[in-house]
Amino acid sequence: MLIRRKSFLALGAAGVQRRTPMHPVSRRALLGGTAALTAASALAACSNGSSGGGSSSDGIYFLNFKPESEAAFKEIAKTYQDAKGVEVKVVTAASGTYEQTLKSEVAKSNPPTLFQMNGPIGLANWKDYATDMSETETAKALIDPSMGLKGEDGKIYGLPLANEGYGLIYNAAILNKYFTLPGAKVASIDEVKGFDALKALAEDMQTKKDQLGIKGVFASTSLAPGEDWRWHTHLANYPLFYELRDANATDTKAFKMTYGDQYKQIFDLYLNNSTVPKTETSAKTVTDSMSEFALGQAAFVQNGNWAWSQISEVDGNTVKEEDIRFMPIYIGVEGEENSGIAIGTENYLTINSKASEAAQKATGDFLTWLFTDPEGSKLAAEKLGIIAPYTAFAELAPEDPLGKQVSEFMNNKDLYPINWVFQIFPSQDFKDQFGQHLSQYASGKEDWAAVIEYVTTEWAAEKA
Amino acid sequence: MTRALKKYFPIFAGPTVLAFLIAFVIPFAMGLYLSFTDFTTLTDAEFIGLQNYKDAFGDRSGFVAALAFTALVAAISIVTVNVGAFALAYLLTRRFPGRNLFRSVFFMPNLIGGIVLGYTWQVMLNAILKNWGQTIVNDWRLGLLGLVMLVNWQMLGYMMIIYIAGLQNVPKELLEAAEIDGAGKSRTLRSVTIPMVMPSITICLFLTLANTFKMYDQNLALTAGAPLNKTQMAALNIVDAMYSKVGQEGVAQAQAVVFFLIVSAIALIQLRATRSKEVDA
Amino acid sequence: MSTSTSTPTAAPATTARAAKPSRHYGAGTPFLVALMTVLSLIWLVPLAFILINSFKGKFFISGAPFALPDGETFAGLDNYITGLQLSGFARAIGWSLFITVGSVAVIVLLTAMTAYYITRVKTWWTSLLYYLFAFSMVAPFQMVMFPTVKIADMLGLATPWGMILLYLGFGGGLSVFLFAGFIKSIPLEIEEAAYMDGCSPLQTYFRIVMPLLMPTTVTVAILNAMWVWNDFLLPNLVIGQDERYKTIPIVIQMLIGSNGNRDMGAQMAMLVLAIIPIVVFYLFGQKHIVEGVAAGAVKG
Repeated sequence: MLIRRKSFLALGAAGVQRRTPMHPVSRRALLGGTAALTAASALAACSNGSSGGGSSSDGIYFLNFKPESEAAFKEIAKTYQDAKGVEVKVVTAASGTYEQTLKSEVAKSNPPTLFQMNGPIGLANWKDYATDMSETETAKALIDPSMGLKGEDGKIYGLPLANEGYGLIYNAAILNKYFTLPGAKVASIDEVKGFDALKALAEDMQTKKDQLGIKGVFASTSLAPGEDWRWHTHLANYPLFYELRDANATDTKAFKMTYGDQYKQIFDLYLNNSTVPKTETSAKTVTDSMSEFALGQAAFVQNGNWAWSQISEVDGNTVKEEDIRFMPIYIGVEGEENSGIAIGTENYLTINSKASEAAQKATGDFLTWLFTDPEGSKLAAEKLGIIAPYTAFAELAPEDPLGKQVSEFMNNKDLYPINWVFQIFPSQDFKDQFGQHLSQYASGKEDWAAVIEYVTTEWAAEKA
Repeated sequence: MTRALKKYFPIFAGPTVLAFLIAFVIPFAMGLYLSFTDFTTLTDAEFIGLQNYKDAFGDRSGFVAALAFTALVAAISIVTVNVGAFALAYLLTRRFPGRNLFRSVFFMPNLIGGIVLGYTWQVMLNAILKNWGQTIVNDWRLGLLGLVMLVNWQMLGYMMIIYIAGLQNVPKELLEAAEIDGAGKSRTLRSVTIPMVMPSITICLFLTLANTFKMYDQNLALTAGAPLNKTQMAALNIVDAMYSKVGQEGVAQAQAVVFFLIVSAIALIQLRATRSKEVDA
Repeated sequence: MSTSTSTPTAAPATTARAAKPSRHYGAGTPFLVALMTVLSLIWLVPLAFILINSFKGKFFISGAPFALPDGETFAGLDNYITGLQLSGFARAIGWSLFITVGSVAVIVLLTAMTAYYITRVKTWWTSLLYYLFAFSMVAPFQMVMFPTVKIADMLGLATPWGMILLYLGFGGGLSVFLFAGFIKSIPLEIEEAAYMDGCSPLQTYFRIVMPLLMPTTVTVAILNAMWVWNDFLLPNLVIGQDERYKTIPIVIQMLIGSNGNRDMGAQMAMLVLAIIPIVVFYLFGQKHIVEGVAAGAVKG
């Protein structure tokens, strides 16, 4: 009984040691709440000695978000182990299960020491587990200190893993073919520096699509559930970005959609000059869009540099590497000819503040190596294909055509970047339902006012 | 004899009961407790009384609408699955060539499951609906139709086998007696066959009820609740609250408790109602 | 299966051939066969759909999903190779088999004994247990998900062996419920006679009762096998983060990347591979399965 009580207490303490001053109730409630709970803990105590502990509890355990990066992270982990003799366990959550995996894993006896958050909303949810990293070497190596994910206290609780960019990806071969057609209304891509020019180009190309051998100008607007984030998140970033810029703010409790008309006109342009009728868009997936682009059936697709792998690995893909170009998305805002592509991150790393001191230290060392050490950063740039916003990465441009152009846009001081302000969208559920409204609008079941109505009222309700 | 057996509890029931405690009873009690707390993870729960239950029925949770849609899917599926399964069983207890092959074909979909199957159905149904310029999520009625079709495809064969067994257990003499009394085919079906297969009906109704109410994979893969959450069933609503909303974990837990109570009550009523109609041969 | 045959020694095929079809089959037979053929074909469409598309390149699936692969879209065995290379599928099959076979064996053996005990020993707590088992069938998994995972971790059950114990506990409800229904219908006299002959409860159970339970055993085995084999969420949360212990549904899910990077072709190929063991299992045990489901369910 003595042993049982001892480990029982140890068990409770492990989970609450840092929180006790803040939440005296929770511990009592949790431990004394129900008889069953006590029984469970007691049961646990019986075998805790044999199964718990272990050497790995002070080790590094990284819970990775992107399944396609798993192999690369494993390679990095192995290199780190060879170099420093410290094991890094990399675990990847299956697609769509990161939140539930993280929620279960942090409650386990060997919780992740390093995990990912998607921005301020993620931080709000995980604030009790995120560590203040303001004073770390890694944070100080940030090219732009404002890139860190800050809590309400102004301290940095999350460090960006990579800068990514999205815009309109186009197939230069198709456009060049169009420019040589008799009667082409636009003569060069350099003329397209705003929404009106983009619209003229797209609509004229659409009428000549048979001559161009394409099915439509824009790849299909994928609005199937779970496949609609390019519109409810990436494209919706634009009206929010300009609204915040006007208000000179970084967050807002009321998103009024003052640029709702501009958002509508670009969305309509996509829908009306596409490879498919708009009633079919709610069946389309991102893979469909990317395949249309890769197979040369569409001239434009709105996506980011991560899409390179989706284009390049297609058998029978007809797009040449040198023909794949990025251009900014124009929605019809004054001065937008000076805008670049949308650049930012939604992928912040933080150290689990409830991991053991030794594990936190080891994890911090690993991050420092990954982002500041010449060998580590080279490996990260090569294997992960990322552009990490740290000084060590300045000279490390990615290999792929889209990544290269993101770097160029980042370094182009003549253009203002569209920041990824969609991080402050209130919740995944907000975005999912936003997408459903867009899908209803596309299929003609709902008018545009209902979309705007949803965004403004739901935003206010969730941000309240 | 009971007395002799009673002492053997540890051998007969011990392991199952222990596993049941670990995997279900204790987690259930903890889950019940969590429904009265605000939590992100299990280690940081704070007791907040009945607030989660109030929120569960609040306007913003969409829980009541999800319950209503669940009831609709369940009601339609229970009828179509059972009528269809009974009809197939009725036909497949006649003698004709290839009978066993047909039984196997109808049973086969039971063997496959998982979310990928649901995505497959989504692609397939969308390809069909394209002929009318529609998709499965354009209109909630199409989503409902798709869900019902998928459920029927998966469950009908299993229920059919159960009904076949029930039909084969109807004594020949009873059917012959009915024929001698001048009862027609439909009269015999109503007055003799159906009362005699009542045990099969009881178990089939229970299984379809429990399975359709708890349906999750098919719902997520086929429509994910679209359009506008009109095809969101209760399990999906609970999971959404748990992971897609911010700070709603406790509410999700409370919804799960409410959902459990409702399904239990319906199942109990159904079992009582159909058991009472069972007759002995 | 047959309703009238009284000579089990006669092979059914011979009987069928000996008798003229016109005498055995009813008047509407051609119509019935035609109807069933059409219905069966409809039933097979989704399966054929998966098989066809598993041979197409991932970019050609949703465009014309019903089209047979042609020169451009045919991917050969690429999807199968991609899936197998990416995901450690072979090991996953091993663990899936281990967990499924182990769980089913343990569930069948132990829940039948439990059902026997709580049916024959009638006190307030055995009926309480019975009701608890019954109610566990309708409990939504989400309600117990986190606590179950937490407890499994604390008890060191995050291994394939531990999964078997969890499945016994979590799947015990339905199994006990089905066995108990059947046991109720077994006349007590048989067991009493065994006791008179000096059998202990264990001997009585294993020699007399257990053989009688065969039909329900098949039902319980199938239901649990399907469930365990296809289950994603529980193994994913309990053992899925351990490199060594991924099961088939987990590796199939790992084929979906972020940013909409979904390889439907490879997923369908893996689905075909996942279905094969189950179909083989079914074809081998077809007769017993159909009879078992039937007999077990009715008595329950």
